[in-house]
Amino acid sequence: MEFIAFVIAIAIANQALRGYKMSKEKTLLYLNLSFVLIGAGLLVDALASIIVFLAGARRGFLYPFAIGYTINFLAQVIAYGLLVYAYVHQARGISEGPVLIAAMPFLFFERNAFTELILIFLLVYIATQTGINYSINKGTNSMLVFGAFVSLSLAHVFFLIFTIAPIFYPFAHIAQLCGFLLLLAMLLRVNQSS
Amino acid sequence: MMPEKQAETKPTAKYRSQFRIYVDIMSVIQRESNEAKPTRILYGANLSHDRLVKYLEELKTLGVIQESGTEDKIYSLTQKGIEFMNNFRRVESFASAFGFRI
Repeated sequence: MEFIAFVIAIAIANQALRGYKMSKEKTLLYLNLSFVLIGAGLLVDALASIIVFLAGARRGFLYPFAIGYTINFLAQVIAYGLLVYAYVHQARGISEGPVLIAAMPFLFFERNAFTELILIFLLVYIATQTGINYSINKGTNSMLVFGAFVSLSLAHVFFLIFTIAPIFYPFAHIAQLCGFLLLLAMLLRVNQSS
Repeated sequence: MMPEKQAETKPTAKYRSQFRIYVDIMSVIQRESNEAKPTRILYGANLSHDRLVKYLEELKTLGVIQESGTEDKIYSLTQKGIEFMNNFRRVESFASAFGFRI
């Protein structure tokens, strides 16, 4: 599932980069960097899971799994932080300084419910922004992006609940995959039109 | 794809970037069935005469529009211009899906 999400994230990043090269619009560069980070995090997490699986989940071999998860988690926090910054940047036209300052404190968080809540907070903010965008332009593509971020927010809510009830783990992965599939649908629609 | 020159301009909320002005001019031409007179472009792209002349020259140099007619000048998009506008529409649609303006 994470490999599929990785491929979709890289496809989104590529489209954003093409847009940035054409228009030199910085929000598209932030979008590109966000999805590159998300894709890289997912890939590392997936590879770590494979290593653990091939090693038969022996004691001591769970360490790569923890590293993979942590890298994926940090990549996502920075990526969604960048997206939040892009929305704030567009709304207020603020300078570039705060983006690094805002991202730095997250680098020192470890995997726990509190950091997962930070991720949910960032995703809910992005989902709200994309929801507002959809309510304004009522376009199908905007709806797909809104749906994607709602789905990704839900996925992290499930990941949070998973720490208490393991039954939610598959739901989290399914919600995550749904989010990326909605983004893929948007990408295909954009490239089919015109 | 579009000129390197545009990197010099810093788009703000108040002013249109050079890139945006290029796109606005080309959109007017496309809207006018790919045959637009300067006055149409002037009003459609909301530009002063001097700036319009400057930008039309730049677009001609870039090879995305062409001029025809002797007394009454008519501007149309070249194949390169049409391809550029198609790519731009895709990028605009993509950015708009996320709520970003370009």
